Amino acid sequence: MKIQGYVLSVILFLILFAGACIRRDVPQNITENSAQTETLSVNEYPVNRKNVTINGVDYLQTDAPVGNFGGTLINSTIGEGPKTFNPFNSKDATSSTLSDIMYDGLVTIDPVTGEYIPKLAKSFEVNGNDYIIHLRHGLKWSDGKPITADDVYFTWKNIILDGFGNTSTRDSIAVEGKLPTVQKLDNYTVKFTTPKPFAPFLASLSTPIAPKHVFEPAVKKGKEFFDTFMSTNIKPNELVISGAFKLTEYVPAQRAVYKRNPNYYVINSKGKKLPYLDKLVYLIVGDVNNEVLKFEGGELDVIGVRGTDVPRFRERQKKDDFSLGNLGPDTGTMYLSVNINDRKNKEGKPYVDPIKQKWFSDKNFRTAVDYALDRENMVYNVANGFAKPLFTPESLNSIFLNKSLRPYPRNLEKSKELLEKSGFYTDDKGRLFDKEGNRVEFTLMTNAGNTEREAIGVMVKQDLEDLGMKVNFKPIEFNSLVNKLLSTYDWDMVIMGLTGSPLEPNGGKNVWMSNGALHMFNQRGQDEYNIGVLPWEKELDYLFENGATALTFDKRKKYYDRYQEIIYNEKPMIYLYSPLRITAIRNKFKNIYPTSLGGVIHNIEEIYIDKEDKNGNP
Amino acid sequence: MLKIIISGLWKDKFARMGMIVLAVIYLAILFAPIIAPYSKDYSDRSLAYVPPSKIFTIDENGHFSKPYTYNYVRKFDENNFNVYNIDRSQKHYLKFFSTGEDGKFHLVTVDKGGKLFLLGTDINGRDVFSRILFGGRISMTIGFLALFVLFPIGMLYGGISGYFGGKIDTIMMRIAEGIMSIPSFYLLIILASILPAGMTSVQRFLLIVVILALIGWAGFARVVRGMVLSIKNQEYVQAAKSIGASDLRIILKHILPQTTSFIIVAITLSIPSYILSESGLSFLGLGIQQPDASWGNMLKEAQIFSNIIYRPWLLTPGFLIFLAVLSFNLVGDTVRDILDPKSKD
Amino acid sequence: MEILKYVLKRILQTIPLLFIVSLVSFFIIRLSPVDPLAELKLNPSVSQETLQRERERLGLDKPIGIQYILWAKSFVKGDLGITSNGESVAQKLKERIPNTLLLTTLVIFLTWIVGIPLGILAAVKWKSPLDRILTVLTSIGMAIPSFFFAVLLLIFAVKTGWFPIGGLTGANYADLGFWGKFSDITKHLILPVTVLFTISLAGLQRQMRGNLLDVLDSDYVKFARAKGVSEFKVIFKHALRNAVNPMITLLGFEFAGLLSGAALTEYVFQYPGLGRLILEAVMKSDINLVMASLMMGAIMLILGNLIADLLLIFTDPRIRTGGENA
Repeated sequence: MKIQGYVLSVILFLILFAGACIRRDVPQNITENSAQTETLSVNEYPVNRKNVTINGVDYLQTDAPVGNFGGTLINSTIGEGPKTFNPFNSKDATSSTLSDIMYDGLVTIDPVTGEYIPKLAKSFEVNGNDYIIHLRHGLKWSDGKPITADDVYFTWKNIILDGFGNTSTRDSIAVEGKLPTVQKLDNYTVKFTTPKPFAPFLASLSTPIAPKHVFEPAVKKGKEFFDTFMSTNIKPNELVISGAFKLTEYVPAQRAVYKRNPNYYVINSKGKKLPYLDKLVYLIVGDVNNEVLKFEGGELDVIGVRGTDVPRFRERQKKDDFSLGNLGPDTGTMYLSVNINDRKNKEGKPYVDPIKQKWFSDKNFRTAVDYALDRENMVYNVANGFAKPLFTPESLNSIFLNKSLRPYPRNLEKSKELLEKSGFYTDDKGRLFDKEGNRVEFTLMTNAGNTEREAIGVMVKQDLEDLGMKVNFKPIEFNSLVNKLLSTYDWDMVIMGLTGSPLEPNGGKNVWMSNGALHMFNQRGQDEYNIGVLPWEKELDYLFENGATALTFDKRKKYYDRYQEIIYNEKPMIYLYSPLRITAIRNKFKNIYPTSLGGVIHNIEEIYIDKEDKNGNP
Repeated sequence: MLKIIISGLWKDKFARMGMIVLAVIYLAILFAPIIAPYSKDYSDRSLAYVPPSKIFTIDENGHFSKPYTYNYVRKFDENNFNVYNIDRSQKHYLKFFSTGEDGKFHLVTVDKGGKLFLLGTDINGRDVFSRILFGGRISMTIGFLALFVLFPIGMLYGGISGYFGGKIDTIMMRIAEGIMSIPSFYLLIILASILPAGMTSVQRFLLIVVILALIGWAGFARVVRGMVLSIKNQEYVQAAKSIGASDLRIILKHILPQTTSFIIVAITLSIPSYILSESGLSFLGLGIQQPDASWGNMLKEAQIFSNIIYRPWLLTPGFLIFLAVLSFNLVGDTVRDILDPKSKD
Repeated sequence: MEILKYVLKRILQTIPLLFIVSLVSFFIIRLSPVDPLAELKLNPSVSQETLQRERERLGLDKPIGIQYILWAKSFVKGDLGITSNGESVAQKLKERIPNTLLLTTLVIFLTWIVGIPLGILAAVKWKSPLDRILTVLTSIGMAIPSFFFAVLLLIFAVKTGWFPIGGLTGANYADLGFWGKFSDITKHLILPVTVLFTISLAGLQRQMRGNLLDVLDSDYVKFARAKGVSEFKVIFKHALRNAVNPMITLLGFEFAGLLSGAALTEYVFQYPGLGRLILEAVMKSDINLVMASLMMGAIMLILGNLIADLLLIFTDPRIRTGGENA
């Protein structure tokens, strides 16, 4: 019995095994998926907005198609959720997004052109150093109190310029240590004066305006109290807001729910007050993978799609109720950097091994590294093709992008040539040595847990090993990595990403100016300022100082073109690629005009749900 | 004793299956360089996420043939994505027991120019099958190594504490309890997250072993101490004492050997939890790091939804962890039944 | 009175224990090269001044010994400090604890009402095919890596549309009536509970089986059988009472695991629980938050053991309060 059972099972196993081995080769016709080749594109934003005065109230009227009122839009933010609902305290993107919905700024950016246009302000004038803001008449806070010049004056004078909350706005508008001044001209007019002509000032006017009668008591209690004011455990009915939506419910680590502001000052062409939507929900999702699942499961209405997931979304799009849009290159950049720091720490030990530092500070070496990188396959494999190789520090959708800097393909020959020029040589085993006979070996780091960067790291390692370098690739924990980059400086080569603004290169001064807080490739501590500044670093300092104070776009562009050219040539940071921004949104939403600069729901008050749509839920 | 265990194991149906599975896995990882068609770092980046190679034994005319495979070619379409089509222009015949392109001896490989990806490739175009074999070397040994570190510590600590009793016992046990009171998974993560960055992969591997051991020893020491408490009053221990044997000698020679069967049971039953801990740690990105492979860090790619739908072969390490742990459990259960005197009739 | 004294003694005994735990964890965390302010530093819009203020607030500029004393002082006073984001630690914990308690008590409850009977069944039918099958099934449950199982279940949820994708409540939760809320939460709980249940059922069933087998093997059960007491009565009247004692000790341990046991599962399901919070805090080296959670875990374990011991005193009068309680 037992033996029989054995024999039987062995025979069965053999049959199964043989069955798996024998496979017939039947040629299939390769079907060209021609049905799928429609391009991903988006509609132009055709909407014009103008100021109209009805019964003494200055409304902002949009000519976007008129829609139905009601309904909910469910959006998401990735991460741990907001840390505060106080727009002046927020230090992270999620907190800013979730608090800025409730507070309008004086100006906002045009989602198409990137120019600054009036928002809470009715209009503004710029005369040299003076910025005169005319406020709308008849506007009210959500508790019925009027919005006046006092609120603007208070917000700027007592919160921003006095350094309450997150001082980054104040820091960004200081010109040579001097701050702008603010003056109330009358109840609806405010004047700002900058100490010198300063182009980025206009951008800072998009900072939210706070209701004086709510914020003043908090400001009087001092900075420490202000830091905890309007934290995430605020009761929503205590909020007094000016924006299109008001928080009604916040559930930690799950969601924030907003209700429409019935007294918002944007109206449609029939004179009805917007927004159309009743509710706006932000789900707080821990990571991108979960976000994708939630969209697919129907729990989300809008999503940014990673390159990896585009095929899945394209396939689903045919049956499901959403459409994809390609907004072009994203603002994020991915780069490789080397540590050219030649200084010593307090114990007199060099931060970087002098042997390695010699390689890294050699322009030929950096250029050789650059030419050895296979950006094309990084784009294909990591972003599934939904990215563009990048060669400049400004992202591809930046209005300041220097278009004369041309991309180039991988060129190992050129790399080898450059290395040879600097005295590097390879032995018969293909190992690379420098002039002094040191084996070229260093560590490449990136933050662990980021699948994309880890995959890029593996590719960079292989690319450089083609040149005979020995690369030890080590993904390490994000916070430890930052500590190395910004405090202890003990790193060789790193792969990181940064997000910049496509409209305002001045934000990059932290990275590029020689004393900047994020000047990673040659970071200087506070006691090392202005020590060992390289000639091209000096020029960058000059360019950023003057780029910020030049007033016309063309003048500014010249300075910023030159800065990109320096980075392009000197390669302290070697840019790899910039992903394309692909978004998906449910078809039931109308008035959807995604733009590269504004994203998908930049015109949130105009978006409505089409009742005719059979697929859409009422 | 070993003989009893093995013959007992073989008698039990489930334990036998478990042993066979484990034997296959350990043989496979032992001979990984031969069985795997590629090294763990071999990568062809123009072939990322290639599906498993199809092997044919009947050709297009319906005749039997030597097994062969076709290569895949990538076609990229701006509006689509990477599509892999079978390139039927050239057949690549499988070669058994011969040298591959890397000049090394392999169990199975293909003609020059051909690619054999039995379980497809990952994001960097690395052969998943080969990486599973090399990754298994880490995943399947880390638990054993951790146990080898923690068992001597735990036994000695528990032995000394139980044998001497009194104040020494109280202090030693309070410390052990202190360590046990820290939730172990968090302690694991904290320790893993403070590993210095500039380590080689071997150092990292060893340190993870040490961390796993650090977390396990206290609980083990407590149980040993409990057993020692009851053993030390037995007559022969008293006898050894009376003839003047040293304390250490009594602990090592007379008391600890009494706990052997408990230790064997504990070892087989705790290996699975170490395998699972390593995979959880690597899954979070704190364990074994790229470009090294372990089953846990290979599974990280399985977090991406599109990968699960389109590239199910990336899930293989998960099933292997499951299979290995299950086998250990089945074997461990039977070992306990054999050695635990209470469950004997 | 005697019991009160016992409780007091036990609580006093825990103080050095908590001291050891806090000292060990604090130094381990602070020895790490991880910078708690790293995220702020990398944010281009955060100024040096803001950073300096954060640094002072967290006491990061002082030597590590002083940092520990500062921390311990405020901890004793009941002040848990603030997270590296500036939120109150106590507040954060308060937000998450109910969610985690909901999940874990549910899991413990389910595993007990399923695991105990299955354990009894296996012990009574010892070495029968049923026993073997149960052993294999529980082995399978123990062998699945929890995160992998969770990922697979999420995919299942997406594919079928039967379950929500993670979280604890749906987007329109606030608008629902009582039963609507109830069913919403239930739907969200099913998948995480399934994962945790599958994994913890095995241990409990095995433990119960083992205990009952031990008791059934003991002299007094043999004696009862010899006296001709019916098998049913032997098991349920005599054996079970004694087999449950070690289970109470186990419950003490499970009580400790209540707040920390489910981290990986919570992580994959995006469950707004304590486990995920701590996991994220540990990875960021958010010292106050990590310390508070570790201390809480330790206190829960001590409390759990104490409660278990007290329960034992009540259920089993043979155990003397003054006895060895290792």
